[in-house]
Amino acid sequence: MKTKKIKLPKCAPYSKAHERYLRKNRNDKIIVLSFQILILVAFIGLWELLAQTGVIDPFFVSSPSRIFNMLSSMISDGSIWRHIGITLLETILGFGIATLGGTLLAIILWWSEKLRRVLEPYIVVLNSLPKIALGPIIILWVGSGMSAIIIMCVLICIVMTTISMLNAFMSCDNDKILLMKSMKANKLQIFWKLVLPNAMNDFISVLKINVGLAWVGTVMGEYISSSAGLGYLIVYGSQIFRIDLVMMSTVVLCLLAAIMYLMVSWLEKWHNR
Amino acid sequence: MKKLLDINKVNFFYQTKKEEICALRDLTFSVDELEFASIVGPSGCGKTTILSLIAGLLPASSGSIILGDEKVGKNNHEKIGYMFQRDHLFEWRTIWKNITLGIELQKPADKDEKLEFAKQLLKKYDLYEFQNRKPRELSGGMRQRVALIRTLVLQPMLLLLDEPFSALDFQTRVGVCDDVHHIIKSEKKTAILVTHDISEALSMSDKLVILSSRPATVKHIEILKLNGETPLLRREDPRFGALFDFVWKKLTNENEKN
Repeated sequence: MKTKKIKLPKCAPYSKAHERYLRKNRNDKIIVLSFQILILVAFIGLWELLAQTGVIDPFFVSSPSRIFNMLSSMISDGSIWRHIGITLLETILGFGIATLGGTLLAIILWWSEKLRRVLEPYIVVLNSLPKIALGPIIILWVGSGMSAIIIMCVLICIVMTTISMLNAFMSCDNDKILLMKSMKANKLQIFWKLVLPNAMNDFISVLKINVGLAWVGTVMGEYISSSAGLGYLIVYGSQIFRIDLVMMSTVVLCLLAAIMYLMVSWLEKWHNR
Repeated sequence: MKKLLDINKVNFFYQTKKEEICALRDLTFSVDELEFASIVGPSGCGKTTILSLIAGLLPASSGSIILGDEKVGKNNHEKIGYMFQRDHLFEWRTIWKNITLGIELQKPADKDEKLEFAKQLLKKYDLYEFQNRKPRELSGGMRQRVALIRTLVLQPMLLLLDEPFSALDFQTRVGVCDDVHHIIKSEKKTAILVTHDISEALSMSDKLVILSSRPATVKHIEILKLNGETPLLRREDPRFGALFDFVWKKLTNENEKN
């Protein structure tokens, strides 16, 4: 019969010093967390108080309660979901296409040294170009609307992805490649079993950066041309002086971006487990 | 003893933008079956280049390298096991996945036997219980043992060791030397060790090849007959000190020439 390994219970007898250490550790965590919450609550409370007492003009700076009312009314009439859905779709598509496409490009460039050398100056220029400058051209070519916004988003993310992933691929230890060669590995095997897994940590950093950049791309795109989405709401709200709408959309954007970042963090934890 | 490796008048040139550089000149030496040979020489003299030539990773400019009965070419990877300065274990793979990497890459016909052999090696050298661990959970010495087993799994004719202990601290290093020596001898392997550490070379090997500075050529070959089962014990042989001085002087002369 196989004997099962017995797991030690978590409350194994610790020494007094160790107990103190653990307690301090936990206390520190609680202190940090409570301060984080405190800052948020104080900020919101102060904002609300100043707006209620008329110290600041809610017409220009809105207030938490107005933002909340705006949000709940848009939730109850269901219109918020359309805007969130569109922005989310654009961002996820842009993020996905840029990440996969950029990585694929990096693979091709890693594979062919000639191509890499030929394209290097173009990539450098593309990287330093503010992609937003291409906005009008994109609209001219593909028309305004969702596809223009997604292209905007992809353009902003893809060059960085390609450069970072190429760097990650190129930084693979030469001796490791030699080791693979000494075991008769072909180039595809070298890539698949060494270079790619070796670049996983960099890939996750790229994902983290892209999460941020993709939101920039989408919102920028929506500023330039759109008829729906959170970026659209912000521009529309500011044009008709409905700061509540602007603030509410910003808050929702904040929450969405945070959720997406958290998901990548989980992915990182899972990868490093 | 039968000759396993015969290097005859090998020259090696490589090109840089400025000039053509001669790295090896008329290099000639041989290694017998089951022999443990070490190559020492001034730093930068081209020791690693020699290993690359033997492994067929670089082509010799002229001369011949014969391994077994065949001339070394691009396709003699199966006959060679290569060990590097660092263990180069793949951190994302378990120990088992690391040592079976070569089998995975080559997909040999006798895959099952090789996998069984890998398991035997792990058991024999006390790594079996670590097979599902990741490399970062192992000590430096254990990692080097895993790296050696990874090359042994493919049952190479000749092991090439390129300063495999240089990244370890001294105490671990002496222990790992013993380990590696023991494994190589008990698996009945022929090995060539490249090192800059004279005492390491003396304690581990049966034959010592001393190279000149670049372009490297064989300056002296010393057959060693130190008493002692393990490298550590051999360091206690009364002749060890004299031999050390002898090699030291040979190498110092070379360094001064530069």
